[in-house]
Amino acid sequence: MGVPPPLKEWENRIMNKLYSRKIHIIVFLLPALILFCGVLIAPIGASGYFSLFDWNGLGEKTFLGFANYRELFTSDEIGFLKALGNSLLLAVFSVFLQLPLALGLALTLGKKIKGERLFLSVYFMPVLISTVVIGQLWLKIYNPDYGILNVFLRSIGLEKWTRIWLGTKQTALGAVFVPTLWQYVGYHMLLLYAGVKSVPPELREAAMLDGASDRQVNRYIVLPYIKPIIRISVIFAVTGSLKSFDLIYVLTNGGPLHATEVPSTLMINMLFLRNRYGMGSTIAVMLIILCFGFALLISAIFREED
Amino acid sequence: MKKILCILLAVCLVFGLAACGKKGDGKTHLKLWCIATESDANRPAYLDAIADYEAAHPDVKIDMEAYENESYKTKIKAAMMGGSSEDLPDIFFTWSGAFLGDFVDAGKVQLLDSYYGPYADAIPEVMLANTTYNGGHYGVPTTFNIVAMYANMDMLKEVGWDHVPETYEDLIACCDALVAAGKIPFGCAGKETWCVTEYLEPIIIKTIGYEALGKIFKGEATWNDPDIAKAVSTFQDMINKGYFDPAGIALGNDEVKANFLAGKTAFYQNGSWNTGEVDDASFKSAVALFPVMNSSRSSYDQTIGGPSDALAVCASSKNLDLASDAAIFLGKEICHYNYLNAVGLPAWIPDYDTSSLPALMVDIADIVAKCEGMVLFGDTAMSADPANTYLSYVAQVYGCEIDGEGFVAGLTKDLG
Repeated sequence: MGVPPPLKEWENRIMNKLYSRKIHIIVFLLPALILFCGVLIAPIGASGYFSLFDWNGLGEKTFLGFANYRELFTSDEIGFLKALGNSLLLAVFSVFLQLPLALGLALTLGKKIKGERLFLSVYFMPVLISTVVIGQLWLKIYNPDYGILNVFLRSIGLEKWTRIWLGTKQTALGAVFVPTLWQYVGYHMLLLYAGVKSVPPELREAAMLDGASDRQVNRYIVLPYIKPIIRISVIFAVTGSLKSFDLIYVLTNGGPLHATEVPSTLMINMLFLRNRYGMGSTIAVMLIILCFGFALLISAIFREED
Repeated sequence: MKKILCILLAVCLVFGLAACGKKGDGKTHLKLWCIATESDANRPAYLDAIADYEAAHPDVKIDMEAYENESYKTKIKAAMMGGSSEDLPDIFFTWSGAFLGDFVDAGKVQLLDSYYGPYADAIPEVMLANTTYNGGHYGVPTTFNIVAMYANMDMLKEVGWDHVPETYEDLIACCDALVAAGKIPFGCAGKETWCVTEYLEPIIIKTIGYEALGKIFKGEATWNDPDIAKAVSTFQDMINKGYFDPAGIALGNDEVKANFLAGKTAFYQNGSWNTGEVDDASFKSAVALFPVMNSSRSSYDQTIGGPSDALAVCASSKNLDLASDAAIFLGKEICHYNYLNAVGLPAWIPDYDTSSLPALMVDIADIVAKCEGMVLFGDTAMSADPANTYLSYVAQVYGCEIDGEGFVAGLTKDLG
């Protein structure tokens, strides 16, 4: 049953009148704009401002210009480049290990296999669990004495492979990466699964009728179709790696000996342990720039491929 | 009907909102922030002290909010930065030395000199030294602690020791015997660097003496002392000889303490606030100080410690007089209950029956009574930035990334 013509005409008249007066548009957009500026733009601006000062957060500020930025990239004691390197390594693992795994799961589950819903829930569950809980869980798994990993290695006669996983510089970074990647496989899987499910069935059927195998259907139909979602996933994976904080904070807090330091843990260290609010703000600004930069770069790469 | 319902709901909402801005019990509420969480040994003392205060002041209610140690540091600093009286508590827990000093310098803390009048004879002036800035008293000590070496006497007895070694040679002989018997002498939490300082600083003080170390922590003397390098080498020798649980580097303090209480390690060197828990352990325990390393510069009766934990009053409190009086009352009573619970030594002169004190606490009180000098914990004595530089070098020492010379050279370069 359609809307009676007089009412529709009336609605159109009202809407045209609203759109024709810019003041209405501004009034309707203003609350969201204020919220956006207050929550996002203003703190970024404040961080940029504080990054130009030497300030302990309480007393007088001393203007330094860009000295904090110079120190950030040249000081061995701060170790920003090492922390950034750790984040970029996590981003590489995330893109080349976590995403292919998530894509594989999404493609498999997208084929309407038995227990599809159950598997979706199971793989997505780590995303729903609090990071602190996951951190505590993996702390127990890695415990050198009673942790399940060392207990398992001992039980199969591989005692010499047992390690103090989170306490040794050589293994700590890898040990922190495993739960970080594991936690968000389900998240990327769900994104990609939604994409796989949106592929029109007639496209698949047509390819099948032409004799395409499952692999060929995925390669030539599904993957090109979900490319925008893959792009989003890559952006989330890379920027998420650059911003990674909570799980690393719980597992190692950047230790041992800064082996698992990432820019966010360094930022907290500068802000709240060393009272160097200027330097902490500088790291915050660099993180914002890096995240935007990588997001634009990834978008450009995908556009070029198109 | 709908209209009536709407009006009723609106009325409820208005009354509900009104209630948010006003405490309904007619009492004056004082907000107290502290770190006495459920798992903190200080909590019973805080609760008892608050109960005593509220009983003596029926028109005042203390609203205690407890936060975990590390997150509290972030919270109080962020709140102080914000500066609005609504965000800040009336009374807050603080570490003395540079931690409180930063807030005092920024004018965020109330001067308590005029409120200490009635308590002049109840607390020695020396106990207020770490919360005194520019001659003014800004904090109320809640306890007083030293670094103590706790020993599991049952484990020591198994390797032929019936007392805690009091000389360095004896300690080494005891540790060798423990290692030979497949036992671990010490546990140290590498995940929390302050726990490493609880081992390193006593070795340094027993090598260069309390006066020299005190001057270094205050920035009045240089780190460039060859004996400090020797002290660090001694510590690393102990690590390399297998005296320390290798798993400790990945563990936090609670786990290392649990290992000691479970009989996994023979010694545990940490703050005397652990006395109650050690006393409750299933094994026979004893306490001592780390032995002397260089008797020409130090002596056995020197240690790391002092009154560090304190309460202070925010200058932004709307009830400054009430909060200041309450802070002093609470500080004194928390100290009282902490001592009786064997959680800390008394910064305030005990005016109550102490005959029920656990034996281990009495031993620590005796150690302190004989003490000829002590230095406040390094990370408390120094301000935030140098303290964290110092902790970073301490972590490198524990991880054997740098040796004694590297430690001294690095700190001399960065801190002078």
